[in-house]
Amino acid sequence: MKISFTVNHQPVIVDVDPAQPLLDVLRDELGLTGTKQGCDYEGECGACTVLLDGRPVRSCLTPVGKVAGRRVLTVEGLGHPEDLHPLQTAFIETGAVQCGYCTPGILMAAKALLDREPDPTEEQINEAMAGNLCRCTGYTRIRAAVQLAAARMRGEHVPSPRPSGKPVVGGDATRTDSVEKVTGQAKYVEDIAMPGMLHAGVLRSPYHHALVLSLDTGAAAQLPGVVRIVTAADIPGKNGLGDYSQDEPVLTPEGETVKMAGAPIALVVAESPEEARAGAAAIEVEYQPLPHTFEVEDTLREDAFPIYEGGNVLTTDRVAHGDLEAAFAQSDVIIRTRYRTAYLEHAALERETALGYIDEEGRVTVTGGTHEPHWQQGYIASTLAVDPSQVRFITPPTGGSFGGKQDPWPLVATGLMTYLVRRPVRLTYSREESFEASPKRHPYSVDYRIGATQDGRLTGIAVRINANTGGYDGHGQYIANYAVTASGGPYLWQAVDARAQSVYTNGPKGGQFRGFGTPQSTFALECTLDELIQKLGEDPLEFRLKNALPQSAISFLGYPVAESLGYVEVLETIRPRFREFQEEARAFNAAAAAASPHTRALRKGVGLSGMWYRFGKSGSLRVEAHAELAEDGHFVVYCSAPDYGQGTNTVMNQLAAEALGVPREWVEVVNADTALTPDSGIQGASRATYWVGNAVCRAARNLKHEILATAAELLDHPPSDLAFDGSRPAKRARSPHLHGGYGQGTIRVAPRSAPGRSVSLREVAQEFERMGKSRRVIGLFDLSPSFPEEGRPEYVPLFVTGAQAAEVMVDLHTGEVRVTRVVAAHDVGRAINPPDAKGQIEGAVVMGLGAALMEEYIPDASTGLGDYYVPTIQSMPEIEVHLVEVPSFHGPHGAKGLGEAAILPTTPAIINAVSRVTGSRIRTLPATPERVLRAIRRARASGGGEI
Amino acid sequence: MSDYLTPASTEEVIQILETYRGEARVIAGGTDVMPDIRRGRIKPRCLVDVTRIPGLDRIEVTEDFVEVGAAVTFAALRDCAYLNRRVHALTDAARSVGAAAIQNAATWVGNLVQAMPAADGAVIALALGAEARVVDSRGAAWRPVESLFEGPGVSAVDPTRQLITHVRFPRPARRWGSAWARVGRRPALVLPILNCAVILCLDADGSSPAQSGEVGKNAGCITQARIALGPVAPRPFRARQAETFLKGNRPTEETLAQAARLAQLEANPRSSVMRASREYRLTVILSLVGDALTVAAERARSNAPDSPQGWDEGIDRRATERSPTNTGPQGIQRPMEHRE
Repeated sequence: MKISFTVNHQPVIVDVDPAQPLLDVLRDELGLTGTKQGCDYEGECGACTVLLDGRPVRSCLTPVGKVAGRRVLTVEGLGHPEDLHPLQTAFIETGAVQCGYCTPGILMAAKALLDREPDPTEEQINEAMAGNLCRCTGYTRIRAAVQLAAARMRGEHVPSPRPSGKPVVGGDATRTDSVEKVTGQAKYVEDIAMPGMLHAGVLRSPYHHALVLSLDTGAAAQLPGVVRIVTAADIPGKNGLGDYSQDEPVLTPEGETVKMAGAPIALVVAESPEEARAGAAAIEVEYQPLPHTFEVEDTLREDAFPIYEGGNVLTTDRVAHGDLEAAFAQSDVIIRTRYRTAYLEHAALERETALGYIDEEGRVTVTGGTHEPHWQQGYIASTLAVDPSQVRFITPPTGGSFGGKQDPWPLVATGLMTYLVRRPVRLTYSREESFEASPKRHPYSVDYRIGATQDGRLTGIAVRINANTGGYDGHGQYIANYAVTASGGPYLWQAVDARAQSVYTNGPKGGQFRGFGTPQSTFALECTLDELIQKLGEDPLEFRLKNALPQSAISFLGYPVAESLGYVEVLETIRPRFREFQEEARAFNAAAAAASPHTRALRKGVGLSGMWYRFGKSGSLRVEAHAELAEDGHFVVYCSAPDYGQGTNTVMNQLAAEALGVPREWVEVVNADTALTPDSGIQGASRATYWVGNAVCRAARNLKHEILATAAELLDHPPSDLAFDGSRPAKRARSPHLHGGYGQGTIRVAPRSAPGRSVSLREVAQEFERMGKSRRVIGLFDLSPSFPEEGRPEYVPLFVTGAQAAEVMVDLHTGEVRVTRVVAAHDVGRAINPPDAKGQIEGAVVMGLGAALMEEYIPDASTGLGDYYVPTIQSMPEIEVHLVEVPSFHGPHGAKGLGEAAILPTTPAIINAVSRVTGSRIRTLPATPERVLRAIRRARASGGGEI
Repeated sequence: MSDYLTPASTEEVIQILETYRGEARVIAGGTDVMPDIRRGRIKPRCLVDVTRIPGLDRIEVTEDFVEVGAAVTFAALRDCAYLNRRVHALTDAARSVGAAAIQNAATWVGNLVQAMPAADGAVIALALGAEARVVDSRGAAWRPVESLFEGPGVSAVDPTRQLITHVRFPRPARRWGSAWARVGRRPALVLPILNCAVILCLDADGSSPAQSGEVGKNAGCITQARIALGPVAPRPFRARQAETFLKGNRPTEETLAQAARLAQLEANPRSSVMRASREYRLTVILSLVGDALTVAAERARSNAPDSPQGWDEGIDRRATERSPTNTGPQGIQRPMEHRE
């Protein structure tokens, strides 16, 4: 059916099924890929929001037939890189864009709001944005951006919150990739279409535990559009994901067992996504179902059904030192607790997507979100039994990860299909598939026994942690170590016995998730401490200060930490606001208790939590980055620190510019492409700035040295008097806001004392060539000399600390909780990009709030964003962030890791606040209205509580 | 390839539905129909869009009724000035549906036809005593909305044969108050654990219970009460015993609390893994219904003729409002004086 309407002020006519969603017509027929799809066309995420006759609608729920004769506006019609809409400018300047996947939909909702309400209240902004999920920013900067744009559109002169970007390090650096993201130009994997591209479907186990008896692909292979069916038998190399302790098969073969629902058995490559799905559905599989359980308690029983031959325990870890029984014997109070956490889903707005093709050099090339491109290259090569040089991995703009995109499976599967069919293949999970098959945060059960003396000194700590790794390893082998490490916090202990084990069940596989195994332990520890504090009648802040680990003391791990500790500083930073919260809550509750009983029964609570987080997980203590003088005379930095929204592209650009002593516009960053960039190690454990940033700094310094040395010879002038000439290059940047493009004009080296004599970088580059000198130089950051092999612990003890206080409002009748304010203080060492560092913390706070109150993946029940509740802007508290700068010993400019650490204290701070209101402890996450109400009633029944 | 038709009259809709013999389906906002098509629950060959039929986008206030056309979206209800002054429960319910971008497309009538036991639009319709004008090849008839719900997701209205052109409810009288209450797992974009709509109408004389003793025997007594709840039964539910108990009683704290207890006894909710257990729902019904009745009673009192606002003050009785679908953007609702 022919349908005509206008899109972005241009008339269009499409010939499509009128029941097709407008979203698909925009993306597939009109090539307007700025509008995103995130929730299986259910209207649950808002990424597809467009304006229809000026009003925001879900384009995924709008049949295209409905728009006949009407006006559609998408993000592409809002503004262009050269002519940005005030909202787009404000989003960039405010730092409201991280991964950028939700941004187009949010911009459209914001535009509609400002068109009808030029001066919106916070409440109006919240109402207008409530249907747009953002997983990165915590919404704070989004609301600020809308307010900034509104003020400017009303004609007020409001200067940019990032006026100069100077100094380069520690200044307010605008992100290098925001312009593409706010204009819908950024090409995420799902936005790339290649000629002849095929689509993949996956046959997944419907059983949580079953033996695959037989597999018949005959009928499926005959279906129209099906190009190739891939089973385990087709895998040329290793059928297992590399360096996972018990190999998780890429595809489960006949005769073996699937250990979780969603485990992949076969791949179908077809001409269209629908045909691929139909092909997968047509494969006949005979299963023999086996007993299954999602509970660690079940699989640990002596008579438990073995999920793996070697037993159901994957790994164990232990830290023990001191005389525990003696420590408990001297304790006046000993407390025992058991805390439990839930399966959590990352729910990044972009689902798992990968595109494979054969590149111009014949390499199997895969592009998709990851944290470690070189590892993926290795995994794919080993699956294909080819040399890694025949595989290339490119990291594209990525719509959020939080660890979720560390799962190698979609990337390896795409490499395998591409290798077998030699054509471009795209694999895109549905949201439902992503929920079923992607890794989750490991649920923990944590038992504590902690002692203290009457004067509030901690004595002994015993902890037992069971981490549920689900049906597969998913790097759960390391979880036990992380669980133990985080379980003691930045406190001084006389004696420690901490044990953790990672245990198989038939639940979804556990995997990396912001904080990797440490938020669960931190939650249990900081809540247990709060119980102890209440029992002792101590003050939450003074108690933590009193027991804070001194810098060179023996830590919980049994040896001193290797980075500067700022825990006392963060607690002191938080003190005034914490006291204010406490005072206000006391006054509020007193007034509320005196008010008439039929007014809404609301009470305020205040909770505190600290944390320590081991960042920069080692693997290798030696990290490499490159800096290059390009042939045309500009600077290029090469590293592998994938940017999935957290801003590493910008940080590397800043650090290199600072080291070279040039403006950011002159430095291009080439990031995370195995054919171009060195292996800078895994981007896990918040290590990008500290490790890779350090290597980038060194590479840039080395390059500067080489360039000035050569220029000195050309100019016959001492290098110490030479500098890059900043006046001449013209920016090639596509807008005044894009600071990431490199200058195209001529960069020169000139003597400070005689600027008239100069040599261009192009000439220097030619001289390099003439001399046979490499234009690319290496930068190495190597901590192995500081931590000699003998006596080096398995993980280098680099720790970062922080503390947060939360204020909550609890409805005593319904158990509903609103987090009203959070104040967060984190020791970042040195903030390279302060607004972005704050943005990381704000995002972490809202994600931690989700874990505290609403997020829980329930096997067999959770299917998508409609029943897995992530916070909306309506849940956002007022967040106040303090960046505490206690310089690190080794990090670039004193910086430390941050991105993950910030989530650790939020959940316990909120739960401590709620528990202090309910009067009975909430020890199971999330604190749903039902659990909170139960705690209130429990406390009433026992006559306890502050209410 | 399907057809998509946008007829200009109700008669035309019926003709099309007849022609397609069950393979055509009425669509309004599409926010429920589209997921149903995607999941293969329905496979219409033709979609019949009723949102461009002239007149169906109006909210009309007549002498006796408030009449809402099939094309009126929740956004239009939410933003309607008359409703914001007189029928708070309806504007609050409209604001509870999904989020702004859903409210801009989804219609009240469409929500009724979906017949889900927790549908905000259905629960409020029950409390308002709404009727639906059902049209098919045999003609048109006003039927109580309550009679249209046959089971979870099963409506007596067959959108392949019939359509609802309008919903209407009795125009709020003097001393009439309504209230909306809802509990959910998060503050927005979520199905309710429980939702509740109540209306109360007080006796024509007297103003508040405090003064009622001095006036006539029935002064300040409840003459009409409707309490609707979801999801506490297979269908949107009315707490009839509580309603009956309230009639003739004064809206004292004890009376309203007793009514809430009766509603709790009548309700029969299920446990839901994703939302809440039966026990939780039963517990919370008590405070939810109690709070809603308290608010409605306060509003009913403040609507008395001798109250400062007067009743229907400043309302043009012929006033009608168009759905913003055809009139372009309208201001979103500012915080209202009566909102809790």
